[in-house]
Amino acid sequence: MSRPRRDGAPDMEGALARYLIERRMSRRQVLGRMATLGAAAAVGSVAAACTTGATAEPEPSGASAAPSGSPAPTPQPTPESELYVYNYADYIGEDTIPSFEEKYGIKVTYDFFDTYETMTAKIATGDSGYDVTFATGVDVPGFLARELVQPLDLSQIPNVVNLAPEWQDPAYDPGNQHSMPYMWWTTGYGYDTEKIPEELTSWAALWDSRWKGKMAMLDDYRETFAVALIRLGYSINTTSDSELDEALALLQEQKPLLRKYTADDIGDLSSGDVWLCHAWGADVSQAATERESLAYVIPEEGGIRGSDAMVLLANAPHPIAAHLFINYMLDAEVSAANTNYIYYMGPNEAAKAYIDPAILEDPTLNPDKAAIDKLQEILDLGPDLEKYQTRWTTLRAGA
Amino acid sequence: MRRDRNPLLTVYAWLVYGFLFAPIVVLILFSFNDSKRNFIWRGFTLKWYPTLFANDALLNALVVTLEVALIAVVITTILGTLLGLGLARLRSGAAGSVSDTMIILPMVAPEVVIGISLLIFFALLFDAHGSVLQISIAHVAFSISYVAIIVRARALSLDPRMEEAARDLGASALGAFWHVTVPLLAPAVGAGAMIAFALSFDDLIITSFNAGVGSSTLPLYIYSRIRFGVTPEINAISTIVVAVTALLLLIGWRVGVIRAGARRSRPTPAAGIV
Amino acid sequence: MSSRRVGDLALFMPGMGWLAVFFVVPLIMIFVVSLGSRDAYGGVVLDRLSFDNYLRALAPAFLPTALNSVKYATATTILAILVSYPIAYWISRYGGRHKVLLLVLVMLPFWTSWVIRTYAWMIILRDNGVINGILGGLGLTSEPIMLLNTDLAVILGMTYGFLPFAILPLYVAIDRVDEAVVAAARDLYSSGRGAFLHVTLPLTMPGVIAAAILTFIPAIGDFVTPDLLGGAQTITIAKVIQTLFLTDKNWAYGAALGFMLMVVTVVVTVGTLRVLRREVIG
Repeated sequence: MSRPRRDGAPDMEGALARYLIERRMSRRQVLGRMATLGAAAAVGSVAAACTTGATAEPEPSGASAAPSGSPAPTPQPTPESELYVYNYADYIGEDTIPSFEEKYGIKVTYDFFDTYETMTAKIATGDSGYDVTFATGVDVPGFLARELVQPLDLSQIPNVVNLAPEWQDPAYDPGNQHSMPYMWWTTGYGYDTEKIPEELTSWAALWDSRWKGKMAMLDDYRETFAVALIRLGYSINTTSDSELDEALALLQEQKPLLRKYTADDIGDLSSGDVWLCHAWGADVSQAATERESLAYVIPEEGGIRGSDAMVLLANAPHPIAAHLFINYMLDAEVSAANTNYIYYMGPNEAAKAYIDPAILEDPTLNPDKAAIDKLQEILDLGPDLEKYQTRWTTLRAGA
Repeated sequence: MRRDRNPLLTVYAWLVYGFLFAPIVVLILFSFNDSKRNFIWRGFTLKWYPTLFANDALLNALVVTLEVALIAVVITTILGTLLGLGLARLRSGAAGSVSDTMIILPMVAPEVVIGISLLIFFALLFDAHGSVLQISIAHVAFSISYVAIIVRARALSLDPRMEEAARDLGASALGAFWHVTVPLLAPAVGAGAMIAFALSFDDLIITSFNAGVGSSTLPLYIYSRIRFGVTPEINAISTIVVAVTALLLLIGWRVGVIRAGARRSRPTPAAGIV
Repeated sequence: MSSRRVGDLALFMPGMGWLAVFFVVPLIMIFVVSLGSRDAYGGVVLDRLSFDNYLRALAPAFLPTALNSVKYATATTILAILVSYPIAYWISRYGGRHKVLLLVLVMLPFWTSWVIRTYAWMIILRDNGVINGILGGLGLTSEPIMLLNTDLAVILGMTYGFLPFAILPLYVAIDRVDEAVVAAARDLYSSGRGAFLHVTLPLTMPGVIAAAILTFIPAIGDFVTPDLLGGAQTITIAKVIQTLFLTDKNWAYGAALGFMLMVVTVVVTVGTLRVLRREVIG
């Protein structure tokens, strides 16, 4: 234990030094581990993505023009007997884990975090004990910079060929070197066509005082600011103070009209308390099973596309089993089973043959190309993220 | 005693119990809801109960939660009672103020602060990354105060001469403590234990930072389902917990294990509050 | 006398020791964090320690949220005590052999998950919920009344959540008071009310104080109930702290704000306790 200094505070520096020596790490790594992840990292690729737009560059080792079925993994080292996965409860096909366990004889411990933020806080220590977790695409560069994830051995993931072309080289992780896409979604808004008998097409509807007290925005600062920025015609990844101030002002105008900022868009829309809700597409689709009059809109000004990805955590105790699992998840039938259960669309082209037609035909879950072209992707902003955060706090905390 | 019973008070009591159980009734009702979500009633079904028993993750979470609660409650009650008693007796200025402050701190500290501080503490000093033990330790740390405060309030109104009298009559220090003080404190200790159990069983935030591989608790499971829909399975398991507890209570009552505090102390009329 | 003193000290060492190791030490660690700052990645930088975060925490922008927290916590505490005292009294005086059972019944609802309980309240309070359904069915209202996402819903939900924290200590205190004393007081003051105000209430004051502490303090830190049952305007300081830590990943700033909250609450509580002790107990 550390010896207290004169002024009573424990010797943090000493404790840290001892820890460092034992771990033989650089000081920087320790500081990085000591707190939660944030953002920024591959500034180069982010800048490139911002300026040129996310143009995919075919990855030499994986992509082929015609995605095939499910190639068996090439001969590889023997996997460990266990695997620790960390994810939302139920954000995986009902049968996926049991069938994986049966196929490979690996025992899987599937743990769940209560909120995404808890997960990021836990893995920030660098040694959470888990092998695989599911990070939002935005966060992958940050995880990478903080050395919380390891590169993937793509030779152990032959199923990567199943990915649709636009997912072979995402902006947040060129070439999928450190992550494999899992599910993706869009953000727009849902509304009850019975209560609001008009056909809504613009974000402006969320500022319409006719629906005062019946509207909600997502309790997510990037998503909410994105809406304001889109209305103003700016990039949703802007770092300009003046643009952000304008966005803040717009949101402050809106606040008195809102019933709440919600984390449960499905519940709000389906219960009928909220008639117009800033929401994720897959959620509106879910809510519509409870309340058939709900419709989803990707507004004409543009919407948002988001996704999450499987990552292999640094210090994963069972890396080989982890690769096997990731590969398994990219299998066409497995990916389809996941989609069919959780009702989110996957990035897997080959899986489309097995996905429930109802899902494929639902524009809420599987928008057509025209809609997809209108989508912007939320990107990592590094230290500039603080500009959004302080304004969000001002928005929420103010009167 | 019987002549001044006020029937209005009894009516009031029933209303309060009604208020306490209203959400529980709704909860139980909706465990039979034929819908994946909780909000709208769609029809009656029993299907969530068998589904629940097939849900290993959920059952495991329940087991972990009970393990943690058991460990935490035992330690918290013992330490908290001793603490409360000690505080009641130790009244002088400096020690009194310091301990007052120390006791209140765990209750005042925002849960996220406690949770993350323990995360850092265990990770840096013990290289530990979450476990049933770690959660239990965390739970004890934040619930001791509740027990201590309740016990202290009770102990403050105890006559210290009771223990002295017992000693005079020949009991040892420990004996006097065990046979006189503890029974007098029993209601407070019991109350403290019940609160400690409720706190541990239902804790979310502090637990989330101190859980590790394989040690997810029920609140963690439930809260993690909010994003994707809190199915009536959750209602079902809560209904079962309530039902089992009620059943145990009933049995305990019938068997006479639960008896009102028959041994109640009688303070001298001039005892006052102190 | 001194051996008794040692004995008393020995009583509270184990508890204090636990708190010292598993609460105070981590708290000190996070205090050090609060003196640091946030680096580009959301990590904690300990190079230049300062009280900057504390100064920022005093920003006037937080005042409405701080006031919100105090408002809810105070309303909840008062309401909880007012509701709990009579029922605690009833259990103690009218409970007879079933006292313990009745007490445990009070706790029973709280051995379920608060998420579900809050959802149940949402079902009861929402526009198409139980209450509005009854009101509409009886023809008393034509439009649903907005009950959910209001201050009313928050205070109701919080009071509900903290009721056992008030009932139990009040019961413990009330049960302590001897019936004979109350009977004598009734004769003396020739009215139930007089007996209550002049004898029972003062005798049970430690219980009331304990109930107030056990309700007010956690209530200030409750961010979930206002979040789920409240509306766009009902943000609390606890939620801000939560957001700073988890969403903004600004541990240093969040920690500073958290400490400020703790210090203020402790000062207010300990101060009030001193005053009350002097006034009430003498």
